[in-house]
Amino acid sequence: MEIFQHILNALQFGSFYALIALGYTLVYGVLRLINFAHGDIFMVGAYIAYFVAVTLLGIGGLHLGMDMHPALALAITVPATMILTALVGVALERTMYRPLRRKGANRLYVVITALMAGLMLENGNLALLGASRKRFPDLLEKVVWDLGGGVSVTNLKVIVIVAAIAVFLLLQFIVTRTKIGMAMRGISYDKFAIPLMGIPLDTIIVFTFILGSSMAGLAGILFAMSYPILEPYMGALIGWKAFIAAVVGGIGDIRGAIVGGFLLGFIEIGVVAVFPSTLRDLFAFSVLLIILWLRPTGIFGVAQTTKI
Amino acid sequence: MKTLLEVKNLKVRYGNIEALHGISFDVKEGEIVTLIGANGAGKSTTLLSICRLPPPEAPRVVEGDILFNGQSLLNVPPHKIVSDLDMALVPEGRRIFGNLTVEENLKLATYARKDGHEAAVRDYERVYALFPRLAERRKQRSESLSGGEQQMLALGRAIMSKCSFLMLDEPSMGLAPLLMYDMFRTLKELNREGLTILLIEQNANLALRFAHRGYVLDTGEIVAHGTSEQLLADPEVKKAYLGG
Repeated sequence: MEIFQHILNALQFGSFYALIALGYTLVYGVLRLINFAHGDIFMVGAYIAYFVAVTLLGIGGLHLGMDMHPALALAITVPATMILTALVGVALERTMYRPLRRKGANRLYVVITALMAGLMLENGNLALLGASRKRFPDLLEKVVWDLGGGVSVTNLKVIVIVAAIAVFLLLQFIVTRTKIGMAMRGISYDKFAIPLMGIPLDTIIVFTFILGSSMAGLAGILFAMSYPILEPYMGALIGWKAFIAAVVGGIGDIRGAIVGGFLLGFIEIGVVAVFPSTLRDLFAFSVLLIILWLRPTGIFGVAQTTKI
Repeated sequence: MKTLLEVKNLKVRYGNIEALHGISFDVKEGEIVTLIGANGAGKSTTLLSICRLPPPEAPRVVEGDILFNGQSLLNVPPHKIVSDLDMALVPEGRRIFGNLTVEENLKLATYARKDGHEAAVRDYERVYALFPRLAERRKQRSESLSGGEQQMLALGRAIMSKCSFLMLDEPSMGLAPLLMYDMFRTLKELNREGLTILLIEQNANLALRFAHRGYVLDTGEIVAHGTSEQLLADPEVKKAYLGG
């Protein structure tokens, strides 16, 4: 029965990776840009959630004297965090990536800019809020369901897993079925031809950043609720892992992000179940490396052909 | 006849190199006008200047003006030229979205249409009637189409975007002669229904047989213009572009 407990944990961890990996893969799928700041946007999302939540609960933040019920505060914090985090993502695109794109800069410079943007978010946070950690308030009354045989699951864990799957289905629908999703896929193939269809290129790109960043914001709040200690570097390692998950799944493909995310979750929990936990990252990444050896394009990826 | 497109003394640069040295021409409503000339004469540059596509492909207009219906295009963003002014460009090399299906390519072209679902449905039917090959292949990734079918799709996209002014850049390139004549027959039919066409061609003979009027472009300057009959009979044009 222990194995079911592990599976549930793996699904929960995989959900965080998947939610963040979706943002990497969306932006990459449209712009062929690896947005290395994305892990830090997740961190910013967690902090935004913190400040919104403590303000609403009246225990910090803006001290508006509100004293909201935690459940109501949660209902407001989730959309508010997603919107505000999306604005952060759009701000990065407007101030950093777009000017470079306008000048026709090589992709390498844009990737370096993304790395710098991530470092600025981390260190900006450190400078503004100091090195002390924040304790995320309890917004959800914890319910533990006993599934028998020593297996139990919390309501939060279920919410995290359901959220990841719902987000995946929503994004898959947008990308494959809607005109704006077709435009997103079209940009990745031929950016030049998009305005010829009467489509404003920048609007589609901004929409992509809104989608990716709001999902990072959602991951931020869910992560903060699950592991309620926030610090400025919390997005770095999980961001890297989610990026690797996206690559293993086949970056640019939404199914790849979700499969890669869950795969990484399962490998990590699987390693910890058998070996000492210090070996977790070493083993997990060795397995992912082997997958990339066997399939360099990732699980769902297709080799890029370049026309000459 | 009303003048739709008027290019006035257009000077265009790529970086420090001047590609067009002040050319002027116009296209009237309902006409087919062709710009002919050798490789590197500035034909594609002229079209790209009109559409003002994003860098790094965009040439820079340094002097002169491009008027459409009397309105200058120089400050109109490229997507609005298609969505608001009902112009369309079938670019060199077709530039279809190879990772989308035939149907998705056509659907994407309706993105900015404002005349409702029914008009779009009529145009889908029209495109599939004009090009039955596309109807057969509607669910296929458009990458897998042959060159001729890709050209049909590029033209189909232009129709789906609801255009009244169509610009074509080397549509005959890479097409087998039979397909090429088919393509031009279709264009002629669209023209009879009111579509104004500006055609860029290297195949001068074909272009002049198809168009009402023509301009001859040579290293960034217009060296001759007139009706197609006049140009076909002009000894200079004959010698340089029509193979004697």
